[in-house]
Amino acid sequence: MAPAPEVPFAPAPAATAGPQGRMEATHLLVRAGEYVCALPLGAVRQVLRSLPLHPLPGSAPELKGLAEFAGDPLPVLDLARLARAPQGANPVFPVTVVAWAGPPESRELVGLAADAALDVAALPAAAVVPAAPGSGGAGGLVAGEAIVAGQVVRVINLQALGQAS
Amino acid sequence: MSGGFLVVRRGGATWAVAHQEVRGLARRGAGVEVTVAAGALAADEVLGVIGNLRLHPAGGVLRRFWPEAARGLAVHGTLPLVLIDGLAPPRSLLAGPAPAAGPPIPEEGGS
Repeated sequence: MAPAPEVPFAPAPAATAGPQGRMEATHLLVRAGEYVCALPLGAVRQVLRSLPLHPLPGSAPELKGLAEFAGDPLPVLDLARLARAPQGANPVFPVTVVAWAGPPESRELVGLAADAALDVAALPAAAVVPAAPGSGGAGGLVAGEAIVAGQVVRVINLQALGQAS
Repeated sequence: MSGGFLVVRRGGATWAVAHQEVRGLARRGAGVEVTVAAGALAADEVLGVIGNLRLHPAGGVLRRFWPEAARGLAVHGTLPLVLIDGLAPPRSLLAGPAPAAGPPIPEEGGS
């Protein structure tokens, strides 16, 4: 099978690495419903056009189904639902971000269905305001918020995904 | 994992049952009924029988959002599938009251 096409996204010039102390990009910004979410770049493996999905009867609404990725099965989750984001006007999930989730000792690949891959950004920990208790989306998935280019961005903690809510 | 698997479709998803766990196979109306230790499973159609599956464990993310038992996940062609545990199949597969039974479907290879 031919590999699924990747979705290009142009990094913002201010966020690219530089030898004179400019900040390196740390997160991939994606639109999920009405939220912009920041995924840790180190966990992102690939950004693809949406993969064909096969729903699993009886699953929670956050799980959109299984897909095939590089010959292996891949659970695909609805990032907007995970982040408790209001659905956008036209949620067609044209993008799947394949990323590592769960705690480091048992990490696994998952797909995150989103509306668009937007940019990359530098988000040092000091720039993130931790989420209030109970407001972190599914099982504390939203670690906090930051402001990027005047816009509120929800910072996603993918390690929390594999843990029981 | 080898030994042969029956691959079926049900509810938009693809499922596999290890050959040794299949106790019976019969037509039920427009669909198919697969009998395993836990009971009769309803399927929309049989996709085929395959010899080997490269199994992956059902990870914590899947188990968190899909609370069913499974022996693992695999891909058949380009179709992701769930390998069913014949002792604890997903509830959505359990057949309801059956319509009049059709003729049994002979198993491939006469086994």
